[in-house]
Amino acid sequence: MLEDFLTKQKSLFGTGMQTVLRGQENRIRQVALQNGNLIGNNRVDTNGICARVYANGVYGFASTAEYSEEAAAKMIAKATENAKVLAKYNKENGTVYPPLSANHIVSPRMIVDFEQKKLIDLCKEIDAYIVKKYPDLLSRTVSYREDTMEKIIVTSDAADGHVAYPRCRIFVEMGMKAADGNTIELYKLWGGFGHMEDHFAKLDEVYAGIDKLYVDLHAKAEGVYAEAGVKDVILDPNVAGMIAHEAIGHTVEADLVQGGSVAGPNLNKVVASEKISIVDFAHTALGEQASLPVYIDDEGVEAKDAVLIENGVLKGYMHDRKSAAEFGVEPCGNARGYGFSDEPLIRMRNTLVLPGQDKLEDMIASIEDGYYLCNTGNGQADLTGEFMFGITMGYEIKHGKLGKAILDTTVSGVAFDMLKTVDMVADKAVWDPFGTCGKKQPMAVAMGGPAIKCKITIGGR
Amino acid sequence: MANLLELSKQTYDYLMGKEGLKADFTLARTEENEVTVKDGKMTMIRTLYNDAVSIRVIQNQKQGTASINSLVIQDIKEAIDSALASAESTDADPCYDIAPGLKPEKFEMGALEPDMDKLLSRTMELSEMIAQRHPKIKLMEMYTKYVRGTNIYRNTNGTQDEKEFGYYELFLEYAGNDGVNSTGFQYNGVDFDSLEKPLIELSSLEKDLTDTENSLNPISVTEKFEGEIILTPSCASQMLEMTIMNAAGDQAILGQTSMWIDKVGQKVASDKLTIASNPWDPHFPNHEVHTGDGFRSEDYTLIEKGVLKSFATNLYTSKKCGVARAANSSLAMVVEAGDVSLDDMIKGMKKGLIVGSVSCGMPGANGELSGVAKNSFYVENGEVKGAVIETMISLNLFDLCNNIKAISKERVCDGFMVMPSILADHVTISGKA
Repeated sequence: MLEDFLTKQKSLFGTGMQTVLRGQENRIRQVALQNGNLIGNNRVDTNGICARVYANGVYGFASTAEYSEEAAAKMIAKATENAKVLAKYNKENGTVYPPLSANHIVSPRMIVDFEQKKLIDLCKEIDAYIVKKYPDLLSRTVSYREDTMEKIIVTSDAADGHVAYPRCRIFVEMGMKAADGNTIELYKLWGGFGHMEDHFAKLDEVYAGIDKLYVDLHAKAEGVYAEAGVKDVILDPNVAGMIAHEAIGHTVEADLVQGGSVAGPNLNKVVASEKISIVDFAHTALGEQASLPVYIDDEGVEAKDAVLIENGVLKGYMHDRKSAAEFGVEPCGNARGYGFSDEPLIRMRNTLVLPGQDKLEDMIASIEDGYYLCNTGNGQADLTGEFMFGITMGYEIKHGKLGKAILDTTVSGVAFDMLKTVDMVADKAVWDPFGTCGKKQPMAVAMGGPAIKCKITIGGR
Repeated sequence: MANLLELSKQTYDYLMGKEGLKADFTLARTEENEVTVKDGKMTMIRTLYNDAVSIRVIQNQKQGTASINSLVIQDIKEAIDSALASAESTDADPCYDIAPGLKPEKFEMGALEPDMDKLLSRTMELSEMIAQRHPKIKLMEMYTKYVRGTNIYRNTNGTQDEKEFGYYELFLEYAGNDGVNSTGFQYNGVDFDSLEKPLIELSSLEKDLTDTENSLNPISVTEKFEGEIILTPSCASQMLEMTIMNAAGDQAILGQTSMWIDKVGQKVASDKLTIASNPWDPHFPNHEVHTGDGFRSEDYTLIEKGVLKSFATNLYTSKKCGVARAANSSLAMVVEAGDVSLDDMIKGMKKGLIVGSVSCGMPGANGELSGVAKNSFYVENGEVKGAVIETMISLNLFDLCNNIKAISKERVCDGFMVMPSILADHVTISGKA
């Protein structure tokens, strides 16, 4: 656990300088078996200190890989110097950020480390299950990855904190030859917030998931290409979560709003069906701990929920202190940096499409000719709200019933247009806790939602 | 440097004190100075002091690795012990290995003495030039930085590479914006080692800015057809990199999922296509001096006139699968120029798209890809009709390589790759019906 010798460095903060000092440790534990061969066996530990100083509308930033009192003092001095150098070029006096509550926030749990042997044995055990039960596979990959971070945040005019974000996951990918000779692959993840023993003390859930994955793989091996065009579809929670993050979430990050995103002119306007509400939760969602709880951000802002869309109306954006001051709103704790040397950026946390009242089986039954899109491996969206998601598993829906599996395809559209076509929303939301957002720096994020029924453009072949 | 050398000696001695050990390690120290510009103003200066240590150990044919960012010998020794403990937990595999010893060498490359004042003035000059020449560009973020570093790589077979490097980096994120409409994102990233010319002349920056401004009022493609595409250099890089990873990379060969698994020496692409991985290409400011396994990095050809010459595989994959090891691990892609100008390529097109990038995921082993054409323009009878929106393309990466019809004379270098524009046909293009 990081030793807190940063708090007493507050005396070194410059007068009139809005300063944040951050100590941070990132830890990666990774094991990967491909066809039984150990191709990854890594332990990565990085820690360090950064200081960010804001004055006269500009920032100075400095970081070092050294974690010591002396290094902290040097970084405060260097960041202050950088801010002063830049201030000479800046003719305008910048806004002073309003002071925030000065609480001290500690997250409920810290990092627990495990011997690499336990992680290797875990992967071997899962690999052995696959080999024994499914010998006809062409390829298989089993990997474990833990990507955790711990932060001490000390500020001049906001909250201080000591928080940790443990997250781990098991990844299984299986491949087989399809009838046409092509290789078909599918993967699935298990785990989430917490440690290895929180999620993998028992492997029943993983094994059940592998069995389902094998069934889906066989179905996909005999799958058909989706028919291109605008189709009635049901987006599984996995896909709906990706929509919430990529297609909506990014467009309502205030830095992108200022960059001209489609959300800019649409505040307080109808942008979606009234059945759609989207919230970026801080640490508690729907009465339970959120998938990746955030209690304080890297600017010392106590985290609270950011309501993005409420009953189809765009209600707000996500901010850091700078954009919040410019928009005249309160920040909700969205400014986070990945590594100790990264400056905080506006990031999502737990972005969720809120559940509705429909039953999934009724939603399927309501479609005459369309698709049930189950899994997406990736997605991208643009300032304009134009998005695309790769679909790695899905089924035809014919006359209200699931039909043949479909091969890999892509769906696309413009987010606000697509969300206006939503006419059914399932009553149960499911989290995807494995997101890593790639906006300049990688960042752990969670997303999710219920199944939703809408119209979407499907790529076909 | 003396400290890092001394530390490398202490690390080496500690490793050599372990019985029956093969190992290699890198000690690295870098300093970065970066300035961020937003809305025409410098908004942040960052100074980053980074250290890094990576260690690989092989004992009794068992391998473990550890990475830390502390250049304190006690921490390094603990990381070595941690890597050994990791290795002990694995199964023995005779294919784990390191390269034989090389003669100790020192390398110096790039801009070792920065001119920070010039970098700042070039940065502001670029910001002003974009504002003057490209008034419909919304520059969301731009940063320039100078990176100076020292690496020492050693292995237990006697290799000792000392590398001193320095280079500048430019990154821009922008969109077209006329106050009412906005285009999608556009990015440019360039590594370079000279401040002699204005930054706007680097890579394809000026052209990309112009193209983005010209994308403000896109047209819709309303039909589905099979047509031609010209991949811009950055998009060609995207497509070729995915193809190589899918069919010639370690995972594809180890997993036996590669469509080229038995194709070395055979034709896999149009004879117009020659792809090399040339880390020593003089276009690049920074060069890989040894592979991840410790072999001296050399340029090699992946595909020569359409014939697959090599996989992009490391030592482990090479030994495991009985294939040749690639001569470098950097995939510094250099594609041979063609014999036709980009203008003539466009004039010769009947119907299709100039594709700036494809918004898509990593395709599966079969190479089937469908995605949204971004930063793209519709062309009919040799005339560019306008930028497109909500237009998808579907293709197979391996078919694409075979369907290349022309490669441009002009090439673009961004410090990571040297790439021409590439024309291919038989690509499915579909607009919103």
